Amino acid sequence: MTANQAHLIRKTIFISLGLLMTFFAGISFHQSRHIKEPVVLSSGVKTSRTLGQYFSGIKGTINDSNVYILEGERPGGTFLVLGGTHPEEPAGRLAAWIFAENAVLEQGRLLVILSANRSGSTATRLGGAYPPDYTIPTSWGGQKFRMGDRWSNPLDQWPDPEVYIHYPSGQELAYVDIRNLNRTFPGRPNGTLTEKTSYAITQLIRKEDVDVVIDLHEAELQYPVISTIVAHQKGQDLAAMASMMISGTEGFQIGMENSPPELRGLSHREIGDHTNAIPLLLESPEPMLDACRGKTGRQLLLEGKDEFLVKANQHGLLFEKIDQKGWPIEKRVGRHTSTILQISELWTADHPGKAVIITGIPRYSDVIKNGVGAYLHDPNKASPDQLKWE
Amino acid sequence: MFTSTEIILAVMVVTYIIVRALKISTELSMFAAAVSGALAGGEGIPIRHIGEGAFTYFDIILIFITATLFMNLLKQSGGISFAVRKILIRFHRKKAILFVLMTFLLLLPGALTGAGSVTVLIMGGMISIVLSYMGLSRVKATALIFILAGLSAAAPPVSLWAMLTAAGINMPYVGFFLPLLIPCVLLGLVTMFVLAWKSKPVDLKKALKELPEPPGEMNWIRVSLPFAAFFLLVFAGRAWPHSSPILGLPMMFMVSAGLSFVLSPAKLNFLKISRDTIHQLLPLIGTLTCVGILVQIMTLTGVRGLIAITTVTLPLTVVILTMPLVLPVSEAVLMWGAAPVLGVPLVLLFNTIGLNPIVALAGMSLIWPLGDALPPTAIIGRLAKETVQMKKPYPRMLKHCLIPALIIMVVGILMIVFSKKLGFLTML
Amino acid sequence: MTAVTILYYLLSAYVAFIIIWNLIKSKKWQEELLYIIIVIPFILRILRLK
Repeated sequence: MTANQAHLIRKTIFISLGLLMTFFAGISFHQSRHIKEPVVLSSGVKTSRTLGQYFSGIKGTINDSNVYILEGERPGGTFLVLGGTHPEEPAGRLAAWIFAENAVLEQGRLLVILSANRSGSTATRLGGAYPPDYTIPTSWGGQKFRMGDRWSNPLDQWPDPEVYIHYPSGQELAYVDIRNLNRTFPGRPNGTLTEKTSYAITQLIRKEDVDVVIDLHEAELQYPVISTIVAHQKGQDLAAMASMMISGTEGFQIGMENSPPELRGLSHREIGDHTNAIPLLLESPEPMLDACRGKTGRQLLLEGKDEFLVKANQHGLLFEKIDQKGWPIEKRVGRHTSTILQISELWTADHPGKAVIITGIPRYSDVIKNGVGAYLHDPNKASPDQLKWE
Repeated sequence: MFTSTEIILAVMVVTYIIVRALKISTELSMFAAAVSGALAGGEGIPIRHIGEGAFTYFDIILIFITATLFMNLLKQSGGISFAVRKILIRFHRKKAILFVLMTFLLLLPGALTGAGSVTVLIMGGMISIVLSYMGLSRVKATALIFILAGLSAAAPPVSLWAMLTAAGINMPYVGFFLPLLIPCVLLGLVTMFVLAWKSKPVDLKKALKELPEPPGEMNWIRVSLPFAAFFLLVFAGRAWPHSSPILGLPMMFMVSAGLSFVLSPAKLNFLKISRDTIHQLLPLIGTLTCVGILVQIMTLTGVRGLIAITTVTLPLTVVILTMPLVLPVSEAVLMWGAAPVLGVPLVLLFNTIGLNPIVALAGMSLIWPLGDALPPTAIIGRLAKETVQMKKPYPRMLKHCLIPALIIMVVGILMIVFSKKLGFLTML
Repeated sequence: MTAVTILYYLLSAYVAFIIIWNLIKSKKWQEELLYIIIVIPFILRILRLK
């Protein structure tokens, strides 16, 4: 064999290996981007819309997300629950899912969005080593969900600017945050996909005359804003009362923080400033977001157990405690469901004419006892008009 | 968990050392270390994670490629040599002014692109010629260009260590401009004056003879128009962010590159310059891609967490005092990967104990680039050596870096310790 | 998709083309491997997979 032939063979082998790697990685990315997540709608859901019906600029795009409208027999106030603003925070989406599949309204209306930034739910964070998906065990097998990112998928919004300048405040933010739904409120009708999505949500809040918006999140334990309700000044009393009631009756502690006026683009700031609604943002602890975490994968995502974080806790480096029991998904989802229920109960007590009475939703202790899967229904047994896809 | 992760880390380190010993490049050794870590962690060959890790610095790689292409086109058109010659003719008698101008020329490319390598590639050769005609040895010139390149990378508007760390802790990249600009400019001037102090005035005739001769039609308009276009686009994006389209840095550099090409008096071979640019940048793009893969696998297996938790649980004084060692070494091994791996937990730690995270991170960003002279990667150091054509052994250059490096370390540490008092610099 | 986005896909395709050209012309095995690793993200992006 001549040197040239050897060289050619070597190069062919290398290129073949490269092609194989590109092929299999590409298949994996394609598959996880297109996982379809079923939603078996509760009997309480009276109408389904999409964000595009509130702002035509987003119609037909990946973020033309579903809006489920639950309505009681008696008129009252209107709540909006946002899941998936940051799709890498699964407890937020799962808690919203429980509402869409189980809630029945006695009075008032509840609007639920499960994939506020659906684009962000179709990619995982670069360098984060997230699993592409996770499965919540159920009595009928299990339901698979996409694990998402904090930002919209670059396949849906590219390029990023040199610096992101928030509209309308003009505040400079990190360039990637132009794809962060919780930095683009109140949104811009002729902006990027993410800005348009924020705008569509703001329009929905205005058109549906929403009273309270609850944006569901999770945070790393090393981050100061955790296990808390972040409230716009309009919602300070409501959040403070909810925090007190929860700490006294639900079996877990939750704090309350004021939305800082100097931080722009966040739902708890801009929705309050630009609409009549009271925005509240809930944070539960997610160990898989911490930089100090150990092995990353589905187990950590669902069980929330991590020895490295336990050590960080012993050194007083965390803003939320963690022990050997970790932060399982049931606890994190249960915190959200109970907090939403408490907020609606307090709101109803204070605003009888605008009451929002929600039934059929498990509280913290129920979710821990029965698991999240107990509140997800088998799509194979659902009637076609009950079944939606996210 | 600790023991098993320590074993994975050990496997990665050993693999790296063995592969390096086989005379295989740093980039491929990192790739091998990543794959071995995944295997040791029971993950098999995680192709999805390798693909995702390779993407980590995709946007930054595009910036490097387009910025370097622009600079190479300008260089080939004779624009850079034209500017250096004009500056020399005008200021050759005034050493101090020449020093200041050279400092700014060296700081500019890295500040714009975030990459010290671009400074070395674009300005290194020219400035070293000027320095050699001022009687400065090539070893000293290499040291000077290396240190300035590091500072230029840390300088705003684009400081990747600060940007990547800030992004990692969901902190806006805001308020960094002055905390980065002031120390970078001052330290740049100090380095220039310290290292080039003993130089003589330029021997103009000799210097002009050796500097490449630009084509006769070259003029200031042809040189400055591409830069003007770049700054105009940056300015427009900032002044009218909501009525101008989002171009992104790579496209802005492409516009400038296109202008340099069109305005060049000499006919340029765009394809050849593109190919040379990619070849020239291969070690850099390769390192970034492989570091991305390595960090992804370190995160997957928990090795990243192990390093982070070990670092942040050390006593605070130890953390701060070892920073001049830990930061450059982490840079030498991981390059920008050091920001997400070490920067994130450290800045969170500083935030927890009440320091100003922005100023502290700016201080750390000054120290990190010093690691670019250290093995295993030593990427900017090696590049500077090649560009200046220094023939002496590499460690000689390091000796000359010592004094400015120490000054930079002290300033960086002081910025961390007194970050709270310096908080006014952020203007927030 | 905006016009600028299309330009970015074209830019990525151009860079991928140059990388592959250099790969074909390269004679050093380490360089070849590295070119293959760095071109992967470009191909995945052009094919809109990542």
